[in-house]
Amino acid sequence: MERNDNQFSGGRRYKNDDITVYWKPSACVHASYCYRELLEVFDPSRRPWVDMNGSTTEKIIEVVNLCPTEALAWKWNDEEKNESVGSDQLNHIKFRRPELMNSIDPDSKEQPVSVKIMADGPIVIKGNFTLLYNGTKKEVHDSMISICRCGVSDHMPFCDGQHRKAGFIG
Amino acid sequence: MEENKENKSQAIIEVLDFGPLKITGNFLLKDLKRNKEDSPGEIKLCICGKSGNKPYCDESHKK
Repeated sequence: MERNDNQFSGGRRYKNDDITVYWKPSACVHASYCYRELLEVFDPSRRPWVDMNGSTTEKIIEVVNLCPTEALAWKWNDEEKNESVGSDQLNHIKFRRPELMNSIDPDSKEQPVSVKIMADGPIVIKGNFTLLYNGTKKEVHDSMISICRCGVSDHMPFCDGQHRKAGFIG
Repeated sequence: MEENKENKSQAIIEVLDFGPLKITGNFLLKDLKRNKEDSPGEIKLCICGKSGNKPYCDESHKK
């Protein structure tokens, strides 16, 4: 089951198949357009207070666009569609919360693996990847490994910290 | 299905026999020593410590 309610960037976000709605409580001035217009989705007495299954995507967008602050903003889940959104979509994140455009989505299913070359140290690899060594194959999920870069480790190919003693520079 | 997709392998990290670390796929390389960032798609990184072109392999392990 995909989560549709989780903490994100100073608030929470809520998803349906088409869009993500971002909520930033610190920005809310209680103008109350959201629950007056669409209580089925925005109900302050319920937890979670946003139910993305309560109405259609079209209607949710319409009501989020009524919010006079950046407390509510939205984006298409299909990133390509976000580029071409027009300024009539007042509360699209491009206009309301541009800092969220191109932000790395922690739920993204296509997040690149992070490969970091540490200064005078190992290669630190993080994410979802397949590791092949000594004839074995290992699927690594949302985890981290550290690969030796100095050639001195007793646990090749993994780093065992000996690069410091060995005075490895590189 | 959904969960498999979320954990879909994005890259293949292969320790080549007596050689470098080969990485292919969707990955972001950050070199903190040389302050470089790149998404090359495929690279061979030195893990023997002998390369003259670190962090990349220059086949020095064969010498």
